[in-house]
Amino acid sequence: MFDNNVFIKDSCRNYSEDGRYAGFELATNITYYRAIPLSMINDIRVYLDGTECERAAIRCSADKIDWFTLDEMKTVTTYKWEYDEPLYIRVLKDGGLTTGSHKVKLTVITRTAYIPVPIEGSMEHTVLIG
Amino acid sequence: MGIKTCVSLYSLQYEFMHKRMSLEDIFRFLADDGVQGIEILPDQSMHRTPHPSQETLREWDRLVEKYGITPACADVFLNTNLYENRRLTQRECVELLIAEIKLANRLGFKLIRLVSMVPGFVIEPLIPYCEQYDVAIALEIHAGMSFDTPATQDFIEEMRRVGSPYCGLVVDCGIFFRKLPRVMGDYCVALGGNLELVKYVENLFDKGWDGWNIYTPGTHEYKPEFKALIKNGTDHMFAALCNGYENKPVTIMDEYWKYIKHFHFKIFEMVDGEEYSCNTREILQYLHDKGYDGYISTEYEGNRWTLPGKPTVEKEQVLLHQAMLRRYIAEIEGVG
Repeated sequence: MFDNNVFIKDSCRNYSEDGRYAGFELATNITYYRAIPLSMINDIRVYLDGTECERAAIRCSADKIDWFTLDEMKTVTTYKWEYDEPLYIRVLKDGGLTTGSHKVKLTVITRTAYIPVPIEGSMEHTVLIG
Repeated sequence: MGIKTCVSLYSLQYEFMHKRMSLEDIFRFLADDGVQGIEILPDQSMHRTPHPSQETLREWDRLVEKYGITPACADVFLNTNLYENRRLTQRECVELLIAEIKLANRLGFKLIRLVSMVPGFVIEPLIPYCEQYDVAIALEIHAGMSFDTPATQDFIEEMRRVGSPYCGLVVDCGIFFRKLPRVMGDYCVALGGNLELVKYVENLFDKGWDGWNIYTPGTHEYKPEFKALIKNGTDHMFAALCNGYENKPVTIMDEYWKYIKHFHFKIFEMVDGEEYSCNTREILQYLHDKGYDGYISTEYEGNRWTLPGKPTVEKEQVLLHQAMLRRYIAEIEGVG
């Protein structure tokens, strides 16, 4: 139902830290119709070329300033994922994505206020690293 | 006096999310169409709610003043599942909602729609704040969670016990659907869903029943003949959402009438000047006969069933629905 909100096209690229690629990042709109505190993000899963990335390697941020692990995010109620702003996701991977074409799939699962089952959305894009 | 038109910004959620329309664009769009009231989800339209910045508040004031549209209803959510490992306590729930009441008052709203499943235990502690800030709270009666749902009945029982004019109900007209939304079936079939499954549910509506009749009575188990038609993941999604469309008689409102403060006119698809599923004229006649003096909101939800690769048509659907509402109101009230 909200699959089309997931994984903003052309948002996936390598990011640098200390002069070298430290991983790759992507952005997604929310699988809901309103903002929620980050604690209500049930899970974020990233798949690279068919293999699920390690949960511990994932970082999320609502503003690209403060980043949280998925476990930390369970108690983050002071930052909100605003409805009309993306959530930024980084996957720690020394050297980043290799040059060429990659299949990257993102799954976003959020808890809502009144539906007992969390809402899940998924989207895969082909990402070209030049 | 009488029935006044309103649009819920739920209807334009993708225009707003994708920044094709700013909040000012939306105000202008509604004003140009002569819409009288505006309904927002503060969590959707503003950042950092229920404590938006002074700048956000000043911008809201400017838009309300400039476009002359009345704030009619604020749709408020209660994050009882803010944490994964427990539900919020009564006092935590009340504290969150007090902040929402204060924000609604600051924005000029006199009515909060509480999302379905808000527990009745918040009512009594909130009433003093409702009175102080002149903001009523009203539980949404939504298909799938409507009058016969235990949590809804618990809220209604407590509402009656407390007996305050500041607590009532908002009726979502998705409980008065006479047909399954066509766009839902089309979407699921386009994604590989089983057409026979869709036809099964359409047939239930043809018999005067609704999406609840996929279950064996008294259970949450699918009827065997319905279950046999579920072939894949899309079918499972379709099946799980079927009871989100109910086919109740409008007279079900009789016993709750004095508590009803607002209406959502849920729409999925305008076809030849009519909403495909909803018996709009019958409901409006009922409201008129009851002397309803308040707003009715267009709540377009067909956006979620937009076929893959197709553009959403939120603005077009809102305009068509508003035109239909005005036509019927004029007919029923005998003017124009």
